[in-house]
Amino acid sequence: MNNNILEAKNITKSFGNTHALKNVNFYLHKSKIHGLLGENGAGKSSLMNILSGIYQPENGSIYIDGIKVKKLNPDLAAKLGIGMVHQEFRLINNFTIKDNLTLSKSNIYTDDFNEAFKKYSDIFSLSAGSETLINQLSVGEKQKIEIMKLIFNNNKIMLLDEPTAVLTPQETNQLRISLKKLSEEDDKTIVLITHKLKEIQEFTESIFVLKDGVMVAEDLETKKVTKNDLITLMMGEVSQSEIRKDNQKGKDKLEVENIFFENIHSNVPTLENISLKVQAGEILGIAGVSGNGQVELANIISGIEREYKGKVIINGKNISNQGVKARKNLNLSYIPENRLGVGLAPGVSIIDNSAVKDYFKSRLGPHLSSNKMLDYLNILIKQFSIKAPDPKAEVSTLSGGNMQKLLMGRELISNPEVIIAAQPTRGLDINAVQSLHDLIVKQRDNGAAVMLISEDLDELFKLSDRIIVLYEGKIVKEFIIDEANIEGVGLAMAGLSE
Amino acid sequence: MNKYLLSKKIVVNELSTFYSFVIGLTIGIGIGSIILLAQGQNPVDVFSLMLRLSIGSVKSISSSLNKATPLILAGLGISIINSVKLWNIGAEGQIFMGGIALNFIYISTEITNPNFSILLLLLASFVGGAVCILFPAISKVLFGVNEIITTLLFNYIVIGLTVYLVNGPWKDPNSLNFPAAAYVGKEVYLPTVFGRLSYGFIICFLCTLGVHYLKEKSVFGYELRISGGSALTAIYAGINAKQKAFVAMLIGGGLAGLAGGVELLSQTHRVSTGLSQGFGYTAIIVAAITGMRPFGIFLVGSLFGALTIGGSVIQTMGVSSYIADVIQATTLFGALIAQFFFTYKITKVTEDV
Repeated sequence: MNNNILEAKNITKSFGNTHALKNVNFYLHKSKIHGLLGENGAGKSSLMNILSGIYQPENGSIYIDGIKVKKLNPDLAAKLGIGMVHQEFRLINNFTIKDNLTLSKSNIYTDDFNEAFKKYSDIFSLSAGSETLINQLSVGEKQKIEIMKLIFNNNKIMLLDEPTAVLTPQETNQLRISLKKLSEEDDKTIVLITHKLKEIQEFTESIFVLKDGVMVAEDLETKKVTKNDLITLMMGEVSQSEIRKDNQKGKDKLEVENIFFENIHSNVPTLENISLKVQAGEILGIAGVSGNGQVELANIISGIEREYKGKVIINGKNISNQGVKARKNLNLSYIPENRLGVGLAPGVSIIDNSAVKDYFKSRLGPHLSSNKMLDYLNILIKQFSIKAPDPKAEVSTLSGGNMQKLLMGRELISNPEVIIAAQPTRGLDINAVQSLHDLIVKQRDNGAAVMLISEDLDELFKLSDRIIVLYEGKIVKEFIIDEANIEGVGLAMAGLSE
Repeated sequence: MNKYLLSKKIVVNELSTFYSFVIGLTIGIGIGSIILLAQGQNPVDVFSLMLRLSIGSVKSISSSLNKATPLILAGLGISIINSVKLWNIGAEGQIFMGGIALNFIYISTEITNPNFSILLLLLASFVGGAVCILFPAISKVLFGVNEIITTLLFNYIVIGLTVYLVNGPWKDPNSLNFPAAAYVGKEVYLPTVFGRLSYGFIICFLCTLGVHYLKEKSVFGYELRISGGSALTAIYAGINAKQKAFVAMLIGGGLAGLAGGVELLSQTHRVSTGLSQGFGYTAIIVAAITGMRPFGIFLVGSLFGALTIGGSVIQTMGVSSYIADVIQATTLFGALIAQFFFTYKITKVTEDV
């Protein structure tokens, strides 16, 4: 026990009536890499926020190097050497790397900055010089700077919140090597927070599992646990159903020919010469790190973006020059990546949001029948088991899973012929993911042509019949699912086709 | 250590706006009473006189409702624009513009059929109000210019235009040098019922029904709500959010213009700088207190009309008519605070480390 650099005992924290953490114990061995595993909402972030002094627990005590710490606040946590990398980067974009690294008052490398920078650049395989502006860096490079910032601020305990969410498999691998070096050569104690089993097994030496605010497993030795053990711990017994791939495919329902698109508002990747086909009863997966043209492609197919060159053909009908409504009339459904803000309008009632797709079917001339809208909502609630408190309540009062069920139910209830689904399960817990996957597969079996855009490779492999990889707005590779492997797709996502 | 957490209620009581108004009005009357007491007046006497002279007889009720008419019409205009989460601060200018447009049509056409002329003149005032908000609307949808600033600035432009017209080209030679345009002919006065109540109030009631239908029951209102919630959702749904916002702004400006037209044809009968007595600003208070609900605007507007009438008659007792303004303003203040507590809840969090 005495070699524990940090110990948190009996931590309890609640928000209103919900217990985020119940009598949680958590401890860290010096110079080791620990994994904190749990689904969304299991309490991982709450625990980390307590350790970095942002939240105060209602109960429990924290010891650092064996000494009890009273009233841990962010300032004190920084002094004690506890640092965190948040999911959203906290770098100043128009400052140089050097400025960002030396900004904090707790920075320890001032005179010997260059030496230190070289040392850690080697460990992280960072090629950019210290005078490079942050906004010239890739997402992976920014991630490295965030972690280096902790080192430069003399943090001995590094809490990393979902650091791999934005990385390609190759970058993830690189991060694994860097973290290992930091723990072995530099005596850093590291916590990796994630819900990805594969990474927790590859990265860590010791695993803690949180479920519904309770620590269900403490300090498991990584080598001795299996993936299935972890799944069971993390979410109880869940039927991990295999998806049948014996689906019958029909004629081409969605054809996209030679799409060129240039975004005039920013210099995000444009689309270049995109051609693809999706057949009835087929799921086409679109892989790629976000920001490589997926959103633009989905917007073009759904009719939101009109300024492009090329053809979009739905059910044999060329609708390139027509807008959203024409495509809806051909029974195309689009589940956008941005759930609240695009798919659903925040601040507007649940009932109004439930009608966004088909509201013109509830109209009689200029009149909108509120009874028809209510009937429609009740069907959605029943069929997709949505938990909605009151039709007139704002849609933002729904939980993430129920919001997505409302959105997907609304888009799928008419049994669409073509479905564009972008990141349909991102940020949702495993049970919601399972039921949403079942919904998509059911639509496929009904003969819909599905284009599934996702950053989650497991999801793509589980559902798709074919996978196309987008990189910098181009299709760099196409795989038949039986011949695809994660490594090959990962390389293509990084733009490194063999 | 105790901490308090503020969070939005999932379901807000539908009558909460009404309760908030009642609470706000109570606070308003309370503060008004304190001021009256400080002046050595008996609040009960003052308020009972106000009541008697504003709603004590058919005649006084008619006066109150006539006073309420422009408030309600301009308030409805603000309400419909707020469906897309935009604020019209320019109702005052739109009221004047409505009057100017009406007078322009009046002096440049010949009256053959008075009923037809009245309709034409009211239409002109509606168009005038819409024209007054045209520039803010265009700059909003094309360039995203903040409509609060542009509509507000147009008030000064239009009031300046009014001052110019009534001192220059339209100045009535028979007005004994008072800056005002000539009176319109009696044949285009709005008719009255019950002696004094103007048809303008009936127009305003019909407009209340119309705006309620438009906002709550029509496809257009639905499209406005979605556009107001999120422009991106609107585009995603195939709704032209900018076009809807543009149309809503024109209708809203038009209703305020109509307020000016009705006021001219029923009360002032001529264009002058006194055409509106701050109706466009008070209408913002009315609309805000009621949470932009058309029937609420109708009721609160009527009450505020009565308050204004009551306020003006108590001057005979040596009490400043500003007491009515104080009550209106503190009612808004109290109602908004009450609404806050109906919308949010405070929970106590106990902490000990």
